[in-house]
Amino acid sequence: METIRNALDFSDFPRIDLIGAGLVLIFLLIFPLLPLSAFAMATMIQFLMFSIYGMGWNTIGGYGGQVDLGKAQYVGIGAYTTSVMLIRWDIPFWVSMPIGVCFAVGWSFIIGYPLFRLKGHYFAIATIATSLVLKDLFEAWNFVGAARGLEISPIKYRPPDFLRLIFKEDIYYYYVLLGLFIIGLFYINWFRKSRLGFQLRCIKDNENVAESLGINVRWAKVKTYAIATAFVSVVGSFHACYIKNIEPEDTMSLSISILIALMAMLGGAGSLWGPIIGAGILIPLKSYLKEWLGAKAGLVGIDLIIYAIIIMLVSAYEPRGIWGIVEKVRRRKRR
Amino acid sequence: MMKSASKFLAILLIVGVIVPAAALAEREIKIGAIYPLTGGAAAAGRELRAGAELAAEIVNNVMPDIDMSMAKSSGIKNMGGAKITLIFKDHEGNPTLGADLAKKLILDDKVDGILGCYHSSVTKTVSSVAEQYGVPMINGSSTSPELTKRGFKWFWRTTPHDVWFTKDLFELLKGLSEGKVKGVKTIPKNELINLASACEKTEWGSFVSEVIEQFAKEYGYNVRKSLLYAKEAPDLSSEVRSLKAAKPDAMLFASYTSDAILMVKTLKAQKIQPKLIWGQDAGFETPEFKSALGDSIVGILTRTVFLPQVVQLKEVAGQVNSLYKAKVGNDLTGASARSFTGVQTWVHVLEKAGSTQPADIQKAANALQIPGNELVVPWAGIKFATSGDEIGQNVLGSGLIGQYQKSPDGQIGLQIIYPFDVASADMIYPFPKF
Amino acid sequence: MDILLSSIVAGLLIGMVLAIVALGLTIIFGVMDIVNFAHGEFLMIGMYTGLLTAQATGMDPLLTLPLAAAVGCLLGILCYVGFVKFLLRGPMIAQLLGTFGLMLFLRNLALLIFGSEDRALHHGILVGKSFDIGMGIIIPATKLAAAGLSVLAFWGVWLLMNRTKIGKALRATALNAQGARYMGIPIERMNALAWGIGGGTVSVAGALIVNFWSVNPFMGLLFTMIAFAIVALGGFGSVPGAFFAGLVVGMITEIPGFWDFFTYTFNLDWMADVPMTSFKYMWVYLAYFVIMVLRPRGLFGWKQ
Repeated sequence: METIRNALDFSDFPRIDLIGAGLVLIFLLIFPLLPLSAFAMATMIQFLMFSIYGMGWNTIGGYGGQVDLGKAQYVGIGAYTTSVMLIRWDIPFWVSMPIGVCFAVGWSFIIGYPLFRLKGHYFAIATIATSLVLKDLFEAWNFVGAARGLEISPIKYRPPDFLRLIFKEDIYYYYVLLGLFIIGLFYINWFRKSRLGFQLRCIKDNENVAESLGINVRWAKVKTYAIATAFVSVVGSFHACYIKNIEPEDTMSLSISILIALMAMLGGAGSLWGPIIGAGILIPLKSYLKEWLGAKAGLVGIDLIIYAIIIMLVSAYEPRGIWGIVEKVRRRKRR
Repeated sequence: MMKSASKFLAILLIVGVIVPAAALAEREIKIGAIYPLTGGAAAAGRELRAGAELAAEIVNNVMPDIDMSMAKSSGIKNMGGAKITLIFKDHEGNPTLGADLAKKLILDDKVDGILGCYHSSVTKTVSSVAEQYGVPMINGSSTSPELTKRGFKWFWRTTPHDVWFTKDLFELLKGLSEGKVKGVKTIPKNELINLASACEKTEWGSFVSEVIEQFAKEYGYNVRKSLLYAKEAPDLSSEVRSLKAAKPDAMLFASYTSDAILMVKTLKAQKIQPKLIWGQDAGFETPEFKSALGDSIVGILTRTVFLPQVVQLKEVAGQVNSLYKAKVGNDLTGASARSFTGVQTWVHVLEKAGSTQPADIQKAANALQIPGNELVVPWAGIKFATSGDEIGQNVLGSGLIGQYQKSPDGQIGLQIIYPFDVASADMIYPFPKF
Repeated sequence: MDILLSSIVAGLLIGMVLAIVALGLTIIFGVMDIVNFAHGEFLMIGMYTGLLTAQATGMDPLLTLPLAAAVGCLLGILCYVGFVKFLLRGPMIAQLLGTFGLMLFLRNLALLIFGSEDRALHHGILVGKSFDIGMGIIIPATKLAAAGLSVLAFWGVWLLMNRTKIGKALRATALNAQGARYMGIPIERMNALAWGIGGGTVSVAGALIVNFWSVNPFMGLLFTMIAFAIVALGGFGSVPGAFFAGLVVGMITEIPGFWDFFTYTFNLDWMADVPMTSFKYMWVYLAYFVIMVLRPRGLFGWKQ
């Protein structure tokens, strides 16, 4: 009971934040009803996906302070579990998705323990290494289609199919994802006020002090890593049903790992709204820049250049991301 | 008096301009063409685009010099002269991007049909999207057999696929052992029995690898090694060393542009000496392959669907080839010839359908029959299977095997080696030293 | 037997080249504790420099090395002074983000300027030639030259670090930046110098590599990862460590060759079916992971 109350309790935020959040939520709810292009809808779905990815990443990367650049492997585990189960054994999404989470969390425990012996950049690079290793393995594993990937055939299933999450129109996907998004948001809200959340913040501030206070640092980190993994795996499963065509190069690549971390960091790692803001800015930016600029031959890549410049500026001047800027401004105002 | 007169004139003018414009605007048929315009196969992408554009040009204008029915009138006759507009999108070799672009083309640009995509891995995802939305798609150059085995109702493929082409290879090998090849005396089977293959690992290459193994078993050859590699790999020396270690008599490849070039370069650097080198088209056929490697490619065999010698078999091929050469600077290749044929097929389908309604297009495509003399490619024609396990596959296609040879005036070009009865030159065997 | 020998030779040769790729990374890290995600991009720029200069002026690619070194050096210093300097005051997250942004920037700038297609050298004194030293070992002349020059470069850098005053200053900054400052060493300049050397060496590596590998704007990341593995194995900050670790990693990439050797010597068909070549670089990443977990200091490292 108290858990649920905690999850729903946003009262420690200033009123203006809550009003802003409320407006955004209303916008998200009515968005599909607005007459916008399919491109805009696809962009919004991407935004929601990366928000959830980011929220998950934020637990270990933001609140925990351990930059994890290997989340793509869990996207893969989630996506492949759902795909394989659907294609081979006709198991619906709502069953395969939790199973995917189990696999992902299991794997995260296996590599988490050794992984958390490392800190800082060593940890970050090690996460990249594990993700790449898993990706290479999937690319050679025939059971999951190797480098060819897996396809959920559009003619085998009659949309709309809520059990298997196969729909023709994006709008269904949107609302399912929005539901997952809201659940995720409440979860993180609970998380940051939970015991584990406090422990993490303590560890982030000063590990040695945390240790001396009796916190089992390694175990706390591993548990948080597992939570992050679960988030990512859920969206991975969704991704498989949405895109209906997955392959390791595309689902488990390094770029996905980095994008996840990037958006959360840009928006503000360690804050509740950060990852959402980050995704909200970077996803539309990336999509529309590519639309407007990339299409003209001779200007290929300029969208990512602008993207990169923004990242560079934020990292040099306000590493705590956009939310960090907001808080800085507020602190100054208070004086 | 003057005011109302000028107002009346204005209205007349507006009506006189807008109404025909609106009518004209309706008479435009939009086809989305998704090709790899950048990325590792950009060279092929350029050819694909040029071939498609040339076909669109011919259909949209009256060209009495070309012996094709679509050149005789401007636009689609049965639709009041409606012109074809190609909307090109670049998938960069990325299947997910391809699917995204397909969705945009269908939902936002509201195309009437789709053409593409060269890479079998991208065709797979794009056709999936088209099937979902019930938008017809014609595929001109992706050869993975799986694409027509999925039972899709909105996908048609004009090009023969890799099972066909690989069978051609084994017929050639068999022919060598039976003395059927022009200019080569009978090679005893045990001299040319060990094979090794290196294929790129996505949809296309991995199936070629499997098909090679199947046919090898059927025809009695021994595949000592079949490896898959990443087409973006910067270095293929360990792959080549692996092939060398297998000591094969013949080396078989399925590579896109940049990896084909790298592969041959690495073979040369490691002084590999097989008796026969064969490539499953794609990279082995692009102009870049020739310009990057020069004389080294003499003796390499490649499956192809078009080479300049075809001009001697088919007049219309020569006519289109001259136009193409004037526009682009080199002859038609398998890629450009097939994307040309893809657009041409669209034209015939639309002529038969008489409308852009998907159901009409579907019916027309399933009943389509294009005679061989209309096509630049040396096929017997175009007719799509409507039953069996390969719905949508053109059953009248065929392949060629060409070999790079140096002509007396120093030009390197492809000569037809198979089918044996249309061979245009003696085959060079065994493969000459690099 | 010749499979084994040619694999060993190939592994060593490529190892020496990879070592010099990693050298710059280890120096930068040693001096200022920053992990440069954009390292592979410097390599890529070095490759383009070498390629385009050779193609434009018609001179032999090997002669372009000094130019590549200069370009890399300047670029390194520019990146430091113009950007990386500001990252140092932030948390590690900012540094990772920042150098990652730099990587994206350089990569896409190259994409914009050069286009996405592969480019390669087709002409040159050594391009395409190889030495057959018997026993089935074929050594491409370009790789031999690259390995040789790499060894030379290592020796040069080692001399610089250990026998010159500037080298001592660099090492002092690496050991303890605050202490070095008290001793009157201009740390800012040392940092910039480290980036200069780092950028320069990896750029030279690029100009060497382009003799036998093709270049496209996207290849940086693979080399960044390999460089990380080498630096981790050899020890962050250690120059000789980078060399020996480079050799080891070079041999790791030849694992498919060793596997083949076992397959054909013992005639085990099941081994031939294992797609070892697909895993070429996976072993490198795995090696990194295992080393970091078991011995984070690496072979010769003195930094934790």
